Amino acid sequence: MPGLFSMLSAAARALEAQRFGLDVTGQNVANVNTPGYARRVVDLAAVPPVDRVSAGGGVEVLGTRALRDRMYDRQLWTELPGEHLQQSVADGLGVVEIALGPPDDGLDKDLAALFDAFARLADTPTSATARHEVIASAEGLVSAFRDTAGRLSAARRDADVRIRGAVADINQLVTRIAELNDAISAIGLTGRSLSLQDEQREAVKTLAAIVDVQTIDRADGGVDVSFARGRPLVVGEHAYQVSVTSTPPSGFATVLSEGIDVTATIAGGRLGGDVQVRDTLIPAYATRLDTLAYTLATEVNALHGTGFDLNGTAGGAFFQPPGGVAGAASSLSVDNALAGDPGLVAAAGVASPGDNQVARALADLRDARVLGGGTTTLLQGWAELVFVVGTDGSAAQAAARSSGEVVQQIETLRDGVSGISLDEEAAMMMRFQRAYEANARFFTVIDESLQVLLGLGR
Amino acid sequence: MRVTFNSGFANALAAINAAAERLLQRQQEVATGRRLHVPSDDPSAMSGAIGARNEARVLDQYRRTTDSAESRLHVLDSALTEVIKSLTTAQSHAAAARTTVLTPEQRDALALAIEGTRDAILNSVSTSYNGLFLFSGSASATEPYSKGPPISAYQGDNLTVSVDVTRTREVAVTANGDAVLRGSEPDDVFVVLSNLATAARTGDMAGIDQGFAALDRAFDRVTTAQSRVGADLSAIESQRRHLDEMRRAADRQRSTLEDANLAESISGLTSAEQAQRAALSALSTANRLSLFDFLR
Repeated sequence: MPGLFSMLSAAARALEAQRFGLDVTGQNVANVNTPGYARRVVDLAAVPPVDRVSAGGGVEVLGTRALRDRMYDRQLWTELPGEHLQQSVADGLGVVEIALGPPDDGLDKDLAALFDAFARLADTPTSATARHEVIASAEGLVSAFRDTAGRLSAARRDADVRIRGAVADINQLVTRIAELNDAISAIGLTGRSLSLQDEQREAVKTLAAIVDVQTIDRADGGVDVSFARGRPLVVGEHAYQVSVTSTPPSGFATVLSEGIDVTATIAGGRLGGDVQVRDTLIPAYATRLDTLAYTLATEVNALHGTGFDLNGTAGGAFFQPPGGVAGAASSLSVDNALAGDPGLVAAAGVASPGDNQVARALADLRDARVLGGGTTTLLQGWAELVFVVGTDGSAAQAAARSSGEVVQQIETLRDGVSGISLDEEAAMMMRFQRAYEANARFFTVIDESLQVLLGLGR
Repeated sequence: MRVTFNSGFANALAAINAAAERLLQRQQEVATGRRLHVPSDDPSAMSGAIGARNEARVLDQYRRTTDSAESRLHVLDSALTEVIKSLTTAQSHAAAARTTVLTPEQRDALALAIEGTRDAILNSVSTSYNGLFLFSGSASATEPYSKGPPISAYQGDNLTVSVDVTRTREVAVTANGDAVLRGSEPDDVFVVLSNLATAARTGDMAGIDQGFAALDRAFDRVTTAQSRVGADLSAIESQRRHLDEMRRAADRQRSTLEDANLAESISGLTSAEQAQRAALSALSTANRLSLFDFLR
């Protein structure tokens, strides 16, 4: 009799085990779209027999496990920063490309218009219309330089806003990871902490998209995270917040970790991409634009100063002399006196109003190699800037696509271990369902056998 | 290898997005006729297109300058032709006066005719184009000679105004009136004609001979000036053809770099549309199959 009762207990345990299996299968199906969820499997073990007349004690549930390959997680955390850095650079440069203007309406059009106006002035140096046209073209070019410089500045400010946003996101994530580390450590690496571990891995993955991270898994299930050449973000249950401070004169954000400036050491993630766009790429483009404006103003002024205006007076500055290369584009302006009186445009090479030698020389400035140590014209300088921006953008897009494919491959491999296959879960569901039915039938048989046995005494 | 719900979906979505991106790119090409919209589409082509477009603008400007220069040179040429005619007429009158059998009235008539040619030459060299005097050198706002009487000395300067009709060629669009009408002589042609008229009126044969010789030398100077104008006009004509050819070449280069090959773009659009349909259909087909559908 003890045998039948123990068989009944074993059958009951088996039913519970199959029910648990169905529960886990249902959990897998329910979380098929949950980010970071790793497929759960039930660990079952046979209960050994207690004596020689017993076949065994049935089955017991040892627990649930999440199927996860930490190597794939690490690879993903290594590759994600690169992909997101390049994508961030590509997005930032997309804005810069728009700032340069459409292909047939960029700064080159306004530069050419100014030189055309000088050429027409050379044709009719005493014409009031031609002189007004020179001033109008110059003012149009000044607007184009200022607008382009302004748009580059705006792109830098946009990158700065994104940097500040990224730092806020980092702080939220490190706080959460630290909380999860604490919770997992308290519970231990058991089935009860699996969802916390899922969330922890997913949080680190999200963090890796923002900034390049280095991780160390702790024995208690936590994960230590650092960035920017070893600066701590999370150590156990402690979160180390990242801060930003606005640095004069630009007011742009400097990223600090425990008071140390780490901005220049951030080399990955969208934060790294935005830092690169804000602090390296756009300033280089702005310097090229400023050099173009400075050289234009300096060369035009030098020629204009050798000429004579309609009154036979020696020519002054055509543009307001720039203070230096830095900021030349945003501060470029036509000389105030000249703007108000086109008669002051010094087209003549001698004190004779009908002469046009200086106007011709100004028109010829179009082909003069005044940039790059005497190798490049002004218009070529603009074309070079467009080329550099295009090349950088194109390279970032290609690198982002390439990195994205690598990330996708790793995620596919990771999903191959941790992901949910609905067909597989359907098969598991059938398996546990059939097992449940069989065990229920066995339970019924044992119950009937017990009834027969109990009926023998009557 | 396990193929999971999410990996299958993610791969299919990536394929759909890639197909959609290619479709959008082809749509833009067909709609705008351009393959370059931003520098990253093709950086070197974009840079080259900027250069080609600039070259076209330069050539357009030279074309405008050429047209303007041609007009002025025609006016200059026409004025010089009139001067030559007047000089020839004056020489005829001088020849007619070189005889002792004329009456005083006849001499007076010849003198008046010679003075008439002097006034005609003054009129010719006072020609202006768009308000600019063509025989004042670079002092084009100043008339070369004042009418007086008497006609003034030359009021312009010794320079000429040139314009660039190509990168390597310039043409003079004004003349140094003093060089044409006086040259290295002590007197300009107006003084010569006035003296000739006096000599004709008084029957001064020596004076008439002197005037005749001076008119000969003036004739040479004017015809030399006209030859230079003629040479420039002829050069302008061939330069214009060259400019037009270069303009077409610059436009072709820009178009090659920047414009889409419409036939190729339309064909690509069709292919891209089909590829996107296939990607969407594949996702739909793959997700129709599920073991759950077969479970009782």
